[in-house]
Amino acid sequence: MADRSMVPGRGLLRDLRRLALFMVKRILALFLTVVVGVYLTILVANMGGKVDELRRIQIESTVAEEVRANPDFNDMSSQERNEMINERVQLEVDRLNLDEPFIWRSFDYLNQAIWLNLGRAEQMSSDRGSRDVYDIIGERLPATILLFGTANLLIFFSSVFIALRLSRRYGSPADRAVIGLAPTSAAPAWFYGIFLILFFAFIAPILPAGGMVDVPPPQGMAAYGLSVLKHMVLPVLAMFMSQIFISIYSWRTFFLIHSSEDYVEMARAKGLPEGRVERRYILRPTLAPIVTSFLLMLIGLWSGAIILESVFNWPGLGTLLFEAIGHRDTPVIIGGVVIFAYLLALTVFILDILYAILDPRVRVGPE
Amino acid sequence: MAFMSIACRGGRSSCRGKGLETVRRRSRYLIAAIVLFAIALIVALWPEPAAGPGGKAGQERKGAVEGDPSERRGALIDQVVFTEEGNPGKAVGRIESGSRHVFAQGVTNKTVYHQLRQSEHAEFDLSYGSSSELTLNPSGPEFGDGELNPFAVPEIREAMNWLVDRDYIANELYGGLAAPRYLPLSTAFPDYARLADVARELEVQYGHKPVRAREVIEREMEALGAIRSGGRWMYEGRPVRIKLLIRTEDARKQVGDYVANQLEELGFETERMYRTAEQAGPIWLASDPSAGRWHIYTGGWVSTVINRDQAQNFADFYTPEGRPSPLWQAYEPSEELHEISQRLSRRDYETVDQRRALMTRALRLSMENSARIWLADGLNVWPYAADVELAMDLAGGLAGSRLWPFTLRFEDKVGGEMIVSSPTVLTEPWNPIAGTNWLYDTMMIRATEDAPVMPDPFTGLYWPQRIQGAEVTVVEDAPVQRNLDWLTLDRADEIEVPGDVWIDWDTEAERFRRVEEKHPDGLTARTRTRIRFEEGYLDRRWHDGSQMSLADLVLPYILQFERADEDSPLYDRSHVPSFQTFQRHFRGWRIVSRDPLVVEVYSDQIYPDAETIVAARTPSTQPWHTLALGIRAERNGGLMFSSDKADQTGETWLSMVSGPSLPVLDRHRRDAAASGWVPFAETLGDLTREDGPDQRYAAIAEWRKERGHYWIGDGPFYLHSVHPVEGSLVMRRNEDFPDRSDKWLRFTEPQIPVVSVEGPMTVTTNEGAQFRVDIRYAGEPYPRSGIDSVEYLLLDGDGDVQTRGVADAVETGEGAWQVSIAREDISALGSGANRLEITVKSNQVALPRFASHAFATLPAPNGEGD
Repeated sequence: MADRSMVPGRGLLRDLRRLALFMVKRILALFLTVVVGVYLTILVANMGGKVDELRRIQIESTVAEEVRANPDFNDMSSQERNEMINERVQLEVDRLNLDEPFIWRSFDYLNQAIWLNLGRAEQMSSDRGSRDVYDIIGERLPATILLFGTANLLIFFSSVFIALRLSRRYGSPADRAVIGLAPTSAAPAWFYGIFLILFFAFIAPILPAGGMVDVPPPQGMAAYGLSVLKHMVLPVLAMFMSQIFISIYSWRTFFLIHSSEDYVEMARAKGLPEGRVERRYILRPTLAPIVTSFLLMLIGLWSGAIILESVFNWPGLGTLLFEAIGHRDTPVIIGGVVIFAYLLALTVFILDILYAILDPRVRVGPE
Repeated sequence: MAFMSIACRGGRSSCRGKGLETVRRRSRYLIAAIVLFAIALIVALWPEPAAGPGGKAGQERKGAVEGDPSERRGALIDQVVFTEEGNPGKAVGRIESGSRHVFAQGVTNKTVYHQLRQSEHAEFDLSYGSSSELTLNPSGPEFGDGELNPFAVPEIREAMNWLVDRDYIANELYGGLAAPRYLPLSTAFPDYARLADVARELEVQYGHKPVRAREVIEREMEALGAIRSGGRWMYEGRPVRIKLLIRTEDARKQVGDYVANQLEELGFETERMYRTAEQAGPIWLASDPSAGRWHIYTGGWVSTVINRDQAQNFADFYTPEGRPSPLWQAYEPSEELHEISQRLSRRDYETVDQRRALMTRALRLSMENSARIWLADGLNVWPYAADVELAMDLAGGLAGSRLWPFTLRFEDKVGGEMIVSSPTVLTEPWNPIAGTNWLYDTMMIRATEDAPVMPDPFTGLYWPQRIQGAEVTVVEDAPVQRNLDWLTLDRADEIEVPGDVWIDWDTEAERFRRVEEKHPDGLTARTRTRIRFEEGYLDRRWHDGSQMSLADLVLPYILQFERADEDSPLYDRSHVPSFQTFQRHFRGWRIVSRDPLVVEVYSDQIYPDAETIVAARTPSTQPWHTLALGIRAERNGGLMFSSDKADQTGETWLSMVSGPSLPVLDRHRRDAAASGWVPFAETLGDLTREDGPDQRYAAIAEWRKERGHYWIGDGPFYLHSVHPVEGSLVMRRNEDFPDRSDKWLRFTEPQIPVVSVEGPMTVTTNEGAQFRVDIRYAGEPYPRSGIDSVEYLLLDGDGDVQTRGVADAVETGEGAWQVSIAREDISALGSGANRLEITVKSNQVALPRFASHAFATLPAPNGEGD
């Protein structure tokens, strides 16, 4: 009895040990990936330190022009003016810490980023006027999640649902129509956006051309919400039109392959209802890739979409990162990337665990 | 269910078939429901029909009504909403569709410009603040790598003026969105008008003459040792290659290509380096010019205000003193140009005539030097709806206009709502001490302020807004002139600063230091400006309803000193450079009278126009109670007025309109209200009203509760609400604004003269000739009082100036002037084709206008007069 009880206990302990070891290794590997990814971003965003030179020139040029354009300084001697220009340039150089070699600053950036201490933006302010990178990013996040979350969820569930149906109607007119329309997804969402704006905002002006809410924003939650809804229609439609057919096509092909497996045919031959076949014999075994796709779609929201947001004047993260790149505001760029990197690492980690739960064949360690 | 169960008795296939039928039916219901829902949604969201500007529905939507501006106070519209829109094409489309009224960005896109010209629903104004040129590398004639640099030779640089066709550049490459420019003076600014006759002569001299350009360049290239072989210039056995650094963001890309093509036609090999501003900077600004990384750079410059004194341009663009950068250090102007530019730069002249003589000479020398080939003054297009009217600035357009809040209206109507698209809204934190200086933020902030003087948007001269008048006294040798009659200008041998004038600030004692304390031996100044504010200036109220006091006038002065004092908790190193400049000239100020308010300011700083001196000296008010909250927050840590200090300390940059600053200000407001705190109480305590602190803090608390921010002013609009993330803000009309709404309406249209010349097509050389000049505006004769002068140049067939003079006003003719050319002058022309060039200078607008008339001189019968 004692021996019999000891055996499962040892097995559990061994499994837990293996699991812990696997998780530690995975976390370390993912952490290393994040570190490398973020440091590469720092190097790229600063062009390996080349940006320092560009910034200095930009500062000198801006200050010199400000002084030249200000009539208050007209009667200063050239020497005095140039001294003042140099003094002002030095203030900005000090503020941006440009005197310190880039290599040391790059490690500072990395150290802060890894600890999620995103610090202060160098050039940009949040819409509300804060220089904290958290505020700058946090302010844009809800708008991005709202727009891209709505569109992506709509696309994801619609395409999975329709694809499942089409996989049972292989060769039907609807199936052929989807195959025929799949190449339309080659055009990006912003491309559809331009035409939608043209038609629905200018030719038949029933929907707004851009922005997140009416101008001025309506008073009251309900009116505000309705206004946001109205402004979401065109960008969501643009994203939907751009992605739905290719998404249906790929899921439909995926389901088609799985629905012709022997065990599915066997289930059908046994006379099981179609709904049950779909749920238990097609969806259940394919849950792992579906969940992977779903989670990656969710974290994909983080990056927003630069051009689509610009076309629709949507105050999201995409345009924010675009502005940050334009301003070469390293802390904001790093902030956006490091959060995305951690989210991605976390998702991958969760997926590793989910795979084991969803698929009994998945095992940790050697058999 | 009963149906299903019966149907299913028929067998599995039958059951499945029925089930499918049911699913199909349900799907149809579902689709029908979705379609109905979609229709309902569209109906619910369908906007009110957009009408063209001026249409009935448009009027109702905008809320504007018929009304007389002279019977209204303050702004002419009830509400203005700013919203973000960075795409010019979309912004114009929205104006045409009626959903927006004004676009606050200058457009340089040719397509949008042509769209606007054809639009029935949109109009536009033009502004002239930008310019383009070719910056030539003057190093050499050999670069460090042995390559030849032809532009080291002034004659070749000068010949580039003849090589380029500026009319083609302005009309074709810029699509009409530019005016040809030849000289280092903007064609839209007053100095150009003052020197219009000289300018016209030089423009004729340096016009497009490709043959002459080729001759000069060939001569000089050969002198450099280059040889022409097979149509190509060779130097030391290698082709002469010209590296053009071409900016790609605007029409300068086409300009660069055009210049490269011209040079290739002359036999040069070209290398076209297309770069953005950021990419080009390290090459032309930071690299050593003698390294030879570039020969020509397509440069561009911007000015957002009318610069009435461009004398500095010669030093800025042609001498090493212009900038500390390597390129400027390579400039080697002639001794004469160097000396004159320095004299002009330090205003080393005593009279207007002396200045004119120096400027004239500098213009000629700068063209001979030609370190820069000026090409065009760019035009910015400012679109607005066809039924909208507002005053734009000739240099800064809408974004640079001070008068837009006072003039913005629907044509012939009052009230209503106007929606203005702006590329950015709330770009950086708003605070009145060291907050945002972004162009568009500043434009919006102006609507909430009531400046004591206003610049004329067409001439740059200042007009009184909140002051009755001013008396300016300058020392005898100061080259200052008065242009308008609302002020006086006197001269004195010496201006002594009285002992009781405040000249410095004692941070510790919190009081001003007087001249008699700091300069016991006395002090003199070059100018004294006595400003008489209008009656009841301090009886006005801030937007939050609190009444103004002298403390509002004095506190900004105190902060000027406090923020530069290292012993003060408000010390800010970023303020020091501008404070040092201020202190170099500042010789003190004092309040001469409290009611009416009269202030006297002493300074050593001189501007050529007395009006500008008054504008620079007149103090303006800031609400001391909101500044007090910022002062408390900065002293205690948490919020900082300037970006630099905020970054240095890691604190928040103070914003009075939104964000994390507001809760901090709330806390300080409560503390200040509880203790009745007044900053710098030793000085300001006596200058606030009796119930000052209580009244002020109660008013601002109420304001914050209602509006959600701390931004108050005394302008024609108040900031009603702020929506930072949505990118919009709402301003509403300040109903307590004291002025009549039509006060500045005369500035909504620049009265640019339209000039035409009529005269004989042929003249015999033995007779004089008369030409008639018609000057009109909007089809009506131009008022004679608005004309400064009508001058003429008579050019012979070679384009050389034969004679010059001034036209006479025709007594009987409305808007008509007459040019009489004497027989001797006609005779001196000889036979052939000639041209009469007319220059009209208006005192209503800085732009001089030109017209020309070609005529032929024929030999007199029997040779008489030849």
